[in-house]
Amino acid sequence: MSVQEEAGLGSEALLETAAAIVERASGYPGVHEAEARVGLTVNSFSRFADVGPTQSAERARLDVSLRLRMADGSKLTEAGSHGQSLDVEDVDALIERAASLAKVSPALVDPVAMGGPVKVDMQKLTGSADPATLAHDPARKAKAIGDAIARCEAAGVNPAGLYDTTGAAQALFNSAGRAVRSESSRASFALTATVPDAAGLGGAGWGECIRSTAGELEAGLIDAAVGRALLKAAPGVERGAVKPGEFTVVLEPAAVSSLLLFASYYGFGAKEVEEQSSFLCGRIGEKLFPESLVIRDRWNHPMYRTSGFDGEGTPKKSLALLENGALTGPVTDRRFAHKLLGDADASTGHGAPQPSGHGPSAGALAIDAGDQTLEELIGGVEHGLLVSQFHYTNVIDPREMMLTGMTRNGLFLIEDGRLAGPLKNLRFTMSLVQALQNVTGIGSELDISGALFDGEVVAPPVRIESFRFTSATDF
Amino acid sequence: MSDFMKTSAAAVAAAEAQGATYADARFNELYTEKYGLHNGALEDASTSEQRGLGLRVLVDGAWGFAAAGGDEPGAAAELAKRAVDAARALATARRTPVELTADKLESGEYRTPVEEDPFALSLADKVDFLVAADAGLQGHESVVARDVNLGLRRERQWFAASGGVEQYQELTRCGAGVSATAAIGGVVERRSYPASFGGNYGAAGFEFVRAMDLPAHGRRVRDEAVELCSAPVCEAGERDLILMGNQLMLQIHESVGHPNELDRVCGHEVDLAGASFATTEKLGKFQYGSDIVNLVADSTAPGGLDTRGWDDDGVKSGRWHVVKDGIFNGYHTSREWGHRIGESESRGTNRAEGWYNPAIIRITNLSLMPGTWTLDDLIADTEDGVLCDTVKMWSIDQRRLNFQFTTEVGHEIKNGKKGRMVRKPTYQGNTPDFWRSCDAICNEDHWQLWGVPNCGKGNPMQVAEMSHGAAPARFRKQTFVV
Repeated sequence: MSVQEEAGLGSEALLETAAAIVERASGYPGVHEAEARVGLTVNSFSRFADVGPTQSAERARLDVSLRLRMADGSKLTEAGSHGQSLDVEDVDALIERAASLAKVSPALVDPVAMGGPVKVDMQKLTGSADPATLAHDPARKAKAIGDAIARCEAAGVNPAGLYDTTGAAQALFNSAGRAVRSESSRASFALTATVPDAAGLGGAGWGECIRSTAGELEAGLIDAAVGRALLKAAPGVERGAVKPGEFTVVLEPAAVSSLLLFASYYGFGAKEVEEQSSFLCGRIGEKLFPESLVIRDRWNHPMYRTSGFDGEGTPKKSLALLENGALTGPVTDRRFAHKLLGDADASTGHGAPQPSGHGPSAGALAIDAGDQTLEELIGGVEHGLLVSQFHYTNVIDPREMMLTGMTRNGLFLIEDGRLAGPLKNLRFTMSLVQALQNVTGIGSELDISGALFDGEVVAPPVRIESFRFTSATDF
Repeated sequence: MSDFMKTSAAAVAAAEAQGATYADARFNELYTEKYGLHNGALEDASTSEQRGLGLRVLVDGAWGFAAAGGDEPGAAAELAKRAVDAARALATARRTPVELTADKLESGEYRTPVEEDPFALSLADKVDFLVAADAGLQGHESVVARDVNLGLRRERQWFAASGGVEQYQELTRCGAGVSATAAIGGVVERRSYPASFGGNYGAAGFEFVRAMDLPAHGRRVRDEAVELCSAPVCEAGERDLILMGNQLMLQIHESVGHPNELDRVCGHEVDLAGASFATTEKLGKFQYGSDIVNLVADSTAPGGLDTRGWDDDGVKSGRWHVVKDGIFNGYHTSREWGHRIGESESRGTNRAEGWYNPAIIRITNLSLMPGTWTLDDLIADTEDGVLCDTVKMWSIDQRRLNFQFTTEVGHEIKNGKKGRMVRKPTYQGNTPDFWRSCDAICNEDHWQLWGVPNCGKGNPMQVAEMSHGAAPARFRKQTFVV
């Protein structure tokens, strides 16, 4: 029996637990409002490399968080506490820690009450976890890993990767009557195939697949990911070099993801707009972008497994953030909905768990699919580059969304609409705003992928004109 | 023996009984307090307590790891079964068995030296500390965000390993910082003290954050943020670069620390974090930097975020040159990885984030040794340069060669004099060329440790902490880009 089978998920039980914690906390002297979140994560992973499986974990964790508001006359204060135990003594300590800290905290300015009962169909928010994915064990991972390594050995490349299966459940209950819960499962497989070279100058390719169930991965997606990695590594093919400059590029979904994630972190939230650091500032409603480009925050996209409510228990709204050629308004939490609209209940459902210094953020970005195949996107390029993935992208200036990063795991020259061989890597320095303005083609096939930092994006491949590369490498 | 040490020892014994040829267990407890004052409001005030047991076993030449939260004594046997079963299953796909260096592990105790226990201080005193630090940041209408951060951690770990090894560690870490963000005419700029992204952190008690004297620096930070908004953008071109310590520390981290993790060098981290140019044939002969460049790894350095008694292999902390007189001299290793390059002992840099994760090689405290210059003399000796201060943005390729960094602020240096302020100074280069261009390092009066509390590595990613010591240093003819 795997750790996941044994632990189960049981979001209903978590919700009951959260309610019991709130009831207990509400009896504490001076408590005005209380909100509890309880989460359970069960995870099994195996990493691998040329020597076979290198590291693994079978693990489970329970996380309990409490948010308390204390009243002292007309003064309201707030603090939080986190723990990993449901023992009565530990829950009492959790309450005591939050209450003690709230008592000495400065008064809240313009406090917004915690959200009340949710008025949408809870069934739609709850989701489900796949039992077979929860039961996925190291023996099954070893089989897939062994097969992938064997294919890499046959191709003469070195493998390194990860096979991960995770189940997660969470519940939130507060003294205003809000009660929400969710369950999900996730499976992912990734492989980087590197052409051996003593000095580390060999080429590399990468393939990844992420879905809600391990069954989907093992129905051909892992085989396809391994195939992509081997194809892009291009063992035996000498890589050419191009000088940095402006190129028409076709970015595959993983490359698109690593750019858009910075709009997710720093761009679409109301706090960044209020503090003038968002690229939305001065651009909302302006027709600056191609009409074919539509970016949404869409937690219920079939490729996502995110919860249907945010850190405050507010149901997430699916929103178009860029449509009809223009950026729309920012996403909000209860505080910013109150601030901007005078109605906390108008929150778009993008808040962080409270208390937090983080403002709202759009964490489920998805670009609408276009109508071109990858081959057609490439076919429209006379002289340009196909980019598989970017590495260590970071933001120089969030207001202009000026980003820099390196290509990796497959950069290819495009000549006369055809791939013309692998290239050594380049660094780009480019404004995301400009890049989106320069989109001239959108692919029809979506994929979900992340980058070095947190988060994932659902994106098609896109073609962008005048994409600026600023330096090169010798590998 | 404490109850928690008994739990760890029981897990090791249970694993051995089920066939493990080696096992180690860590019962880990982490208590943290986090405070974030934003525009005078305490937006983030929370405490956290985590505890659980992580068990690692070696069976049939493969690793298995299992972890569970809580402190139930009966969990050890169940964890042992899970870890052993996982190792057995994965061994079927293993090409070569794991082997370990023959380090002789010792039992003992280690505690971070602390003058003022941060958890004995009242919560009210800590809130007062934040409010006082915020006072200096106030008073300018163009400042749109004022932030004061304070973070306190105490980690206690009961480690047991095959052979009856028992190690107890209690690590205390504190950090704080202030920042101001100004917005004028569509230009938004931030200044921070003593470092960005939450401030500076060290292994110490509350005396560490008191010594920062945050209230005394608020006004300067605020005024520099405002001034930056109207400063010109640093021009592109080739000039000398002087890096202050709170930027140089990140250069050390990204271009020396990570490329010298041996698991990364051998391709085992390539799938997410990346690989390394510092391949094994370069050891002992590669010109990493100029001959004044000495980079020393030291997990015994007083105040270092990774200063401890032992790593999570149970190997004693130590000190060695990663770069000696400019030549590449040594890797960060573990018992598994030291063996792979034929070393008889591990360098002791295998660490896990808490009880939930298996250990991987992590950078320890890694510092550029001080030179002989004063900062005033260094500026006076520079004809055409830019002095860059405080991390703003960093990016480096997956082999740790091509990098691009932006700092919060720059000052032009013309004919030996510090001149006008410039914003967004961005320099781009190549790791060995950069370190080989170092021709002057300031002396120990300018040298201090800078903490990195949030280094990510592994897949799934884990967070670790370490410090980097640096004094301002000069790098000739660097490329500035816009």
